[in-house]
Amino acid sequence: MDLFDKIGGLSTLHDQILSAGQDPFGVCMDELLHPTEAMIGGRNVVLAGTNNYLGLTFDRDCVDAAHDALERLGTGTTGSRIANGTYSEHRTLENEIASFFGFGSALVFPTGYQANLGIISAIAGPDDYILLDADCHACIYDGCRMTGATVIRFRHNSPSDLEKRLQRLDGDGGNKLIIVEGLYSMFGDIAPLAEFAAVKRKYGAYLYVDEAHSVGVFGEHGRGVAEHAGVLEDVDFIVGTFSKSLGSIGGFCASDHPKFPYLRLASRPYMFTASLSPANVASVTTALRRIKSDPSLRETLWRNAHALYDRLDDLGLSLAAPTSPIIAVKIESQDEAVVYWNKLIEAGVYVNLAIPPGTPNSTSLLRCSASAAHTPEQIDRIAEAFAMVAEDMRSHEEAEAFPLRRVAKERV
Amino acid sequence: MDVADDLVLRKVCQKLQQYNVRNLALTGETDITGDLEIDSVAVLDLIMEVEDEYSISFPMNLLSEIRTVGDLVRAIHKQAGAQ
Repeated sequence: MDLFDKIGGLSTLHDQILSAGQDPFGVCMDELLHPTEAMIGGRNVVLAGTNNYLGLTFDRDCVDAAHDALERLGTGTTGSRIANGTYSEHRTLENEIASFFGFGSALVFPTGYQANLGIISAIAGPDDYILLDADCHACIYDGCRMTGATVIRFRHNSPSDLEKRLQRLDGDGGNKLIIVEGLYSMFGDIAPLAEFAAVKRKYGAYLYVDEAHSVGVFGEHGRGVAEHAGVLEDVDFIVGTFSKSLGSIGGFCASDHPKFPYLRLASRPYMFTASLSPANVASVTTALRRIKSDPSLRETLWRNAHALYDRLDDLGLSLAAPTSPIIAVKIESQDEAVVYWNKLIEAGVYVNLAIPPGTPNSTSLLRCSASAAHTPEQIDRIAEAFAMVAEDMRSHEEAEAFPLRRVAKERV
Repeated sequence: MDVADDLVLRKVCQKLQQYNVRNLALTGETDITGDLEIDSVAVLDLIMEVEDEYSISFPMNLLSEIRTVGDLVRAIHKQAGAQ
């Protein structure tokens, strides 16, 4: 009996994946040549699996702001927000986030993961009900586990299924908190937020929307899917991250609730961790101002998203959702997805390999994401690599070179 | 509670059959994640089906107490009785 026995299945699976080639979950970038290009194992690789939607990681103004903060304020705060870790820059960023959404206040966290843990665990308690979309991110599930609340899943993107589950709770006391995401990170599909907002109003629930992948991407002003759907004022809590379109690391939550600022004294993941480094705060503040003032980045992103989506669609690949900057190619089996992924990186294209249980409905995916920084040549390289590998895979399939899949078929 | 000859047990076993790739005889003693080819997300999906089948709320919080098919069947009876 060993402490690590409980992850024995995972290590077996990982060993199987490694036997197919490289480690998809341990890719190491030796040098970044561009926001969407890196040297990996001595090979020049186009990055088609980042969350760098606006390509701001090397933006001159963001880098300069981070440099300046580093020089003026040092490498770290060495303290929590409730002790010595609040600098005026943290407050400025929080105020600018609140004003961006038109809400009363905002809190920032060291990661997006912690933002969800920190807010959910502070606002829900044992007498409350949380209804969460089945496809919500792991950090939302983890946050829910910290609450002691009654947690009920509803079917992904289904307002009618949510309503059915709310009806079953009718008559029970306790607050109802509905949690959904704006743009889902695996399939790249968006939530029907107008319909969810209507259910929220009907049942007097609170609506919590994680816009991690949609801030800076959706909406006339880049505020996310809630703005895109015209229901921003129905959202009680907007959560997001700095590690995607804002090109850094960190997370936030904005709310119009008058008591929201008191979470600074109630949220354990906010209180008991060191605050964001000054350089992070500075680059994020600059990136946010850029999103507010320059819609051209968003336009370029969407142009690239359409171009990449259309090229992959033309190849006859099975795409998981309508066009968005997340373009997920569905692969029939996990075994095939691993081989496909290896062939792509050998062809100079990095995508995210996503396999169960990290994906909904036991699906295996090659997840691509478009960036405003992708050049037309890079999009060509991605599409050409997919075309080449798809052809190669077809010949493999004819040779029945995927033993696990064959076994699975025989079992059926 | 004995779940050996129970309608809920039969219904649950029917739903679990799709994950029974080794063709085990499903009983109340079957370990849901240990004996079947079912991942943690699929267990949660199964719970949603159970909720709809019996028009009950089955909070995720209860899952930590469920290991076997029999545990699940007893929990369904308990939830149905409470609602």
